[in-house]
Amino acid sequence: MLRYTWKRLLTGILSLFVLVTVTFFLVRIIPGSPFQRGGVSEDVVETIEQEYGLNEPLMTQYISYLGNVVRGDLGISYQDPATQVSDIIARAWPITASIGITALAVSVILGTGLGILKAVSKRRWIRELISAGGMLAAGIPSFAAAILLLLVFSVKLKWLPASGLLSPVHYILPVTALAFYPSAMITRLVGNTLGGELQKDYVLFARAKGLGKGRIILTHALKNAYLPVLNCIGPASASLLTGSFVVESIFTIPGLGREFVGSITNRDYTLILGLTIFMGAVVIIVNLITDLLCAWLDPQTRRAYREERA
Amino acid sequence: MRKRMTAALLTLTLLCTGVLSGCVTADPSDGSGEKGITVAISSDTGTMDPAGSIALTYLAYSVSALDELLTYDENGKIEYRAAESYEVNDDSTVWTFHLREDALWSDGSPVTSADFMNTITRALDPASGSGYANYLFPIENAEAVYNGEADMDSLGVETPDDYTIVFHLAEPCVYFLDLLRLPVYTPSCSEYADSVDSGWDRNPETSLSNGPFSLAEYVPDQYFVLEKNEYYWNADAVNLDTITYRFFDDTQSMASAYEAGEVDVSTSLSSTVMEAYEGTDDLFVTDQIATRYIYMNLNVEPLNDVRVREAINLAINREELCQIVGSDTEPTYNLVAKYMKDKNTGEYFVDEAEQPFEEEVTKAQKLLAEAGYPDGEGFPELTYNYPTLEMDSDTAQVIQEQLKENLNITINLEAQELQANYSTRYAGDFDLCRMNWTADFADPYTYLSMLLSNSTYNCSGINDPEYDSIVAASNSESDPAKRSELLHQAEQLAVGEQFYIIPLFAMKSVNLVNPDITGIRQIPASGALEYRYADIDI
Repeated sequence: MLRYTWKRLLTGILSLFVLVTVTFFLVRIIPGSPFQRGGVSEDVVETIEQEYGLNEPLMTQYISYLGNVVRGDLGISYQDPATQVSDIIARAWPITASIGITALAVSVILGTGLGILKAVSKRRWIRELISAGGMLAAGIPSFAAAILLLLVFSVKLKWLPASGLLSPVHYILPVTALAFYPSAMITRLVGNTLGGELQKDYVLFARAKGLGKGRIILTHALKNAYLPVLNCIGPASASLLTGSFVVESIFTIPGLGREFVGSITNRDYTLILGLTIFMGAVVIIVNLITDLLCAWLDPQTRRAYREERA
Repeated sequence: MRKRMTAALLTLTLLCTGVLSGCVTADPSDGSGEKGITVAISSDTGTMDPAGSIALTYLAYSVSALDELLTYDENGKIEYRAAESYEVNDDSTVWTFHLREDALWSDGSPVTSADFMNTITRALDPASGSGYANYLFPIENAEAVYNGEADMDSLGVETPDDYTIVFHLAEPCVYFLDLLRLPVYTPSCSEYADSVDSGWDRNPETSLSNGPFSLAEYVPDQYFVLEKNEYYWNADAVNLDTITYRFFDDTQSMASAYEAGEVDVSTSLSSTVMEAYEGTDDLFVTDQIATRYIYMNLNVEPLNDVRVREAINLAINREELCQIVGSDTEPTYNLVAKYMKDKNTGEYFVDEAEQPFEEEVTKAQKLLAEAGYPDGEGFPELTYNYPTLEMDSDTAQVIQEQLKENLNITINLEAQELQANYSTRYAGDFDLCRMNWTADFADPYTYLSMLLSNSTYNCSGINDPEYDSIVAASNSESDPAKRSELLHQAEQLAVGEQFYIIPLFAMKSVNLVNPDITGIRQIPASGALEYRYADIDI
């Protein structure tokens, strides 16, 4: 297991290196300069670029950047020389993560609950209602959901705030918008796989042994049914943790997604690269954790690791 | 089982309610009986250091927090701010300003000439990233200092004492006073404002201001709060206790936040807001001092032929264009912004002269035939580069259609991301390119200087010695009426005779303002809103 983890970490670092390299050269290919604005004269832009070493050969810039990254220095933001890129990440990520984790928790609780209900309910209309609701929720893109929620609950009803993250109440709308799709996915997966599990012999056996229905579902069937769900939660949490630009933009939340798009618009090279590295690392780590969790849950994989070690 | 589930759910609900109700923190706009307003502005960009790389954040901040030497009011009269008087020599090359001795920074220390020098010297270091450094170039040796070819000691700025500052200009510059509102001429406290990357500008302890409000709190990407500067020399005229600026990413969110009552002012909204709020007290429409136009690349055949340029200009129906693009646009036939005033007459500059040209399709067709392209035959396909903003995309399609219908010529459309469009334009790598210019200062020179053959904004290869000499003559002409005539002559030559550009429209700013707020003014130079003497009924 340990060897596997090491192997995964090493490939992760290699992927990060490729990601940084590709991003570094790609952002330099986009026309534009971090210092070019509508009214700034070309001579002034050139002089400032020289000052920041942007006129040196690309390879030289690339090597010196890599050297800095290895030392843990992501550099300063060109748009705001008083701020380190790492400070911007340290400021924006907790905000994105707090919304992302809340949305993930809501999705898992809601999705599992509704999924179980769908699998065990004897009433057809409940099952169909959940299916239809799930389909609808999965079909509405998060930006449409966000605008709809904003218009109804903030602008028309004035129940909830429309912008910012000044208090916990401010979390309700963005979290709801973000949780739409993952909840629907989890509901569907749990509903289907649990439905399948419940048909299996071991469930029949457990019942024959006299175990309660709740216990069978929660301790036996659900555990087996959750494997595919975990595989889906992995990428979903990675995307929630790296921030949704659209939802952050609509609700004016100063998170990573908003910083990322802003940095590209401003051609803030160091910030683009810093955020790419960070987001890449988050995705790699979250996927690694998911895989390890799956292995831990799935006796077959667990056995495979053990045999590999032996 | 069911009971346990219900109990768990109940506990969870109670917990959530407790957390939510217990943790609701104060909204930054909530004051306890204090007079405060909240203004929505576009997202956080650039520094708040006048010598640094500034963008929207500085512009919002400085309007309320910093006093320039002097400025002009809406009637074109001088309003003294940090200075109380000035003198100029006969040929407009030596300008002496006497500072107000009762002017204090927000910590109570005096504002001196060294603080003005502090911004100027720091801005002349390219490392500062100041995009306005070139506005210091009229000063003797400023350009050489910026390019590292001369010492700071040789710079033509003197501070004989704490309350006097003297500018020696390389050439006569009669519009010099208009430049003084620009960031590079605004003071920064020499005690704290040491460099652009020390972060002094966002820290309320060190970010001092010499204007009516000073920085009280700064939360990156979210909001900043200004509070009344009790040391301000004109503090009695200031009514508000706080102004909170909140950052927003897009105009839709700004409009929603206004609708939800979270902000008191939302500026620069889309024209749909204008229609939705038509007839209400909230709608506050202002004129932008800006012109949107198209550069025609003179190095590209057949745009080097003046007849072709005239034909294209005459074949565009600007009334129709504006009807389609939005009710916040108005046709213009000039380069100088439609709503820029001539300070000497108090009238709009462009209204003082005849319209440079009239649209006329038949004449346009005739001109095109004379140039060798009867009914557009043999006319090469031209490409129009424009940014992917909604307004510019609509404009592009209308123009494409009009030129096809009226002249039978084909324009290919190439939408680009804004930054990429700037690059294309600067590189001169286009046939037709969209341009927008908002006045930096309240003088037609801000527009006319762009077409000078040595201007860095002249991206289309204009090289007209006659035009250059008229504009140069206007610079040293101290008689306002004669100068104005020269400027009109230059504009007529460029726009109505040589047709170097295709003027399209002037724009209005659609703003939503809480009707309880009074005293908001519009800055004549840029058209932006100013809240320094505003008041609110509470």
